[in-house]
Amino acid sequence: MRTSSRPLRCALTALTLIAIVVAPWSGAPAQSRLRVLATLPDLWAITRAIVGDLGEVQVATRPGQNPHDLEIRPSQFVLVKRAEILVRNGLDEDAWIDPIIESSGNPRLLRGAPSVVEAARGLTILKIRTGPIDRSLGDVHPSGNPHFTLDPGTLPVVTANIVAGLARLHPDLAEQLDANRRAFLDEVAAATRRWSDALAPHRGAPLVSYHDSWPYFYQAFGLEELGVIEDRPGVPPSPQHLVALIRQMRARRAKVVLVESWYPSDTATAVARAAGARVLVLPQSPGAVKGTDTYIAHLDFLVTSLARALME
Amino acid sequence: MRTHECRPLALLVVLSFSILTGPAHAQDADALRRELEALRQQFATVTESYAQRLKALGDRLQQLEGRAAPAADAPTLADLARPRQPFSLAQPGRVLLFDIGVSGDFVTDFTSPTRERRHDGTFAGRENRLFPREVELEFFGRVDPYASAVVRISAGEEPTRGASSSRELSVRLDEANATLLTLPLGTTARFGLMRPRFGTLNTVHQDDLPQVDRPNVLARFFGEEELDGERGIEAFWILPFSTYHELSVGVFDGDNETAFGRGSLRDPLLIGRWRTFFELEELGGLQLDVSAATGSTADGHRNTVIGVGGKYKWIGAGSGFPVLTLAAEGLGGFRGVDTDSGGDGHVERWGAYAYAQYDVNRRWAAGLRGDWTELPVERGREWSLSPYVQFKPSEFLRFRLQYKHTDGRGAVERSAEELFLQGSFILGAHPTERF
Repeated sequence: MRTSSRPLRCALTALTLIAIVVAPWSGAPAQSRLRVLATLPDLWAITRAIVGDLGEVQVATRPGQNPHDLEIRPSQFVLVKRAEILVRNGLDEDAWIDPIIESSGNPRLLRGAPSVVEAARGLTILKIRTGPIDRSLGDVHPSGNPHFTLDPGTLPVVTANIVAGLARLHPDLAEQLDANRRAFLDEVAAATRRWSDALAPHRGAPLVSYHDSWPYFYQAFGLEELGVIEDRPGVPPSPQHLVALIRQMRARRAKVVLVESWYPSDTATAVARAAGARVLVLPQSPGAVKGTDTYIAHLDFLVTSLARALME
Repeated sequence: MRTHECRPLALLVVLSFSILTGPAHAQDADALRRELEALRQQFATVTESYAQRLKALGDRLQQLEGRAAPAADAPTLADLARPRQPFSLAQPGRVLLFDIGVSGDFVTDFTSPTRERRHDGTFAGRENRLFPREVELEFFGRVDPYASAVVRISAGEEPTRGASSSRELSVRLDEANATLLTLPLGTTARFGLMRPRFGTLNTVHQDDLPQVDRPNVLARFFGEEELDGERGIEAFWILPFSTYHELSVGVFDGDNETAFGRGSLRDPLLIGRWRTFFELEELGGLQLDVSAATGSTADGHRNTVIGVGGKYKWIGAGSGFPVLTLAAEGLGGFRGVDTDSGGDGHVERWGAYAYAQYDVNRRWAAGLRGDWTELPVERGREWSLSPYVQFKPSEFLRFRLQYKHTDGRGAVERSAEELFLQGSFILGAHPTERF
């Protein structure tokens, strides 16, 4: 039998060399500029408004990409590796970031660490499931509906969470961050008045959407959720559900079916045609449509498109 | 006499009490009557108020129920005959400190009676049977702020090469390892029982493979489940460059009987892999990897296997479909062997596979895989071609139909036609899909 300890010595030598090569970069000394990673484009747009020119804000998903069934890409490991602060949704929409963090060698971004901001903290969350929860309900969010940034009324809390998280690591920037936040909230308040006015004639209008993305938006602008085509998230709807939904739409004279741009529109088109309504394809995240990469531009686009569709 | 004198006095006392107490009784009765009346009025008001509130709530409930299911149309016979939505048995509010997932992977290998008799089908000893290839119970989560862990226990029918078919289920510990997350120098390390980072598909579990069976070259060089169940320690780094470069190095016992089998840290199995990724934005993404594994076989010869892999994926804009995946992996084996004359010899063997898959939408996909490989020790080679179709009703349920034609020469001389059917499901928590 020929055995040798040479491979073991080679491995140890290789490990030592790797350590020598990696060491200069790995300590990642604290820099004065913020290096923030947001998991989702809406949080990216909001965080950018707060950070301004105090640092750089990256996003782990592409605008217009469906975060519900996201596939982990190696390029996301690089983003996680470089960031010093992570802004995450706080519910279950971006749970895919956890395995990335665990394999990225950046323990500062592990859940529960001071460098992690949970944007949903302190918000009143809609649609928290109360009955028995299992996969017969589809790929549900047990912690509640995570699309809260579509209600501008949540931004005071969301931005306060972000500023608190950033200032925790950079107390020297707290004042500037808070000033940026106030300026941003003022802009949002002015825009909210504009959005409310645009949708005021349609208050109470019954709406149907493909995915259950819009409860906060409906709540913010006094619209009514008549139904959701994909009644069990991630599972194509059953014919009997669609038949019942079409009946309801006819009875309530629903005019518009909202479809998030990352979902196929064929089912929604068929439902809308049968119910005498029209399909409105909307981006659910900032940046998915050219010129909408800020929070206000994104909401402007949503409100204007919807108001126009309801008017027709 | 004194008795008679006392009588008027007693009468006077009684009369006095009568005169004095009569009006007081009347006053009490009036007061009580008024109080009673007031209470009656209060009761009536409260009753009325509650009746109004009950009515309002009832109306609201009716309205809400009306919205959820309009009573305008009575259910038709067809409505009543349709199957109901599945009910659930889970209870809300359960809190666990780790995740639990169960996956089931059932396969059928339809082939000719000759292949069944000789047990030389892709799933040896399980030809023309529907068998549980792997039913897996998985626990994973954080151990503490510094580590996470995973434990996988699986049961399934093992491959056999003997005369009888495999029918017994064997339960085994597939993986049990902890990952240390907060090591210095950006190091992440795991120790325990694991699937090492080697090549493109080694870390992929049986039920998650892109096709029903593991590509021929991987099965021939390492066994049907590739390089799994190794005990040891593995460290990996994401290198600090602007693009993705992952380097991993592992030291293992070398328990894989097909390729190594020495099973001792005195002469360990060493594995290293470098993997990179190019984000091509709208044009997709390209992943490349280079691996090497070197260890000692059970009979004391050195065996070194090198691997080169590539995977390209293009994803349609908007809904994320269609998806086009092109992947290929090649292995080279350099193995010491005993020669017929009793001396030491050396064999060099090669093999590769390539596949293309097109996901039309979330549910349907089709693909084609081609395999060519030499046998790692004996003289012989085989090639195969496998078209397949995949149907996923949801993220948690998948069916596949795959046809495989194999043509072997030398020690695996045969021409085999096989049809695989696969059904897989996931219960509970499941890891996020990777590129």
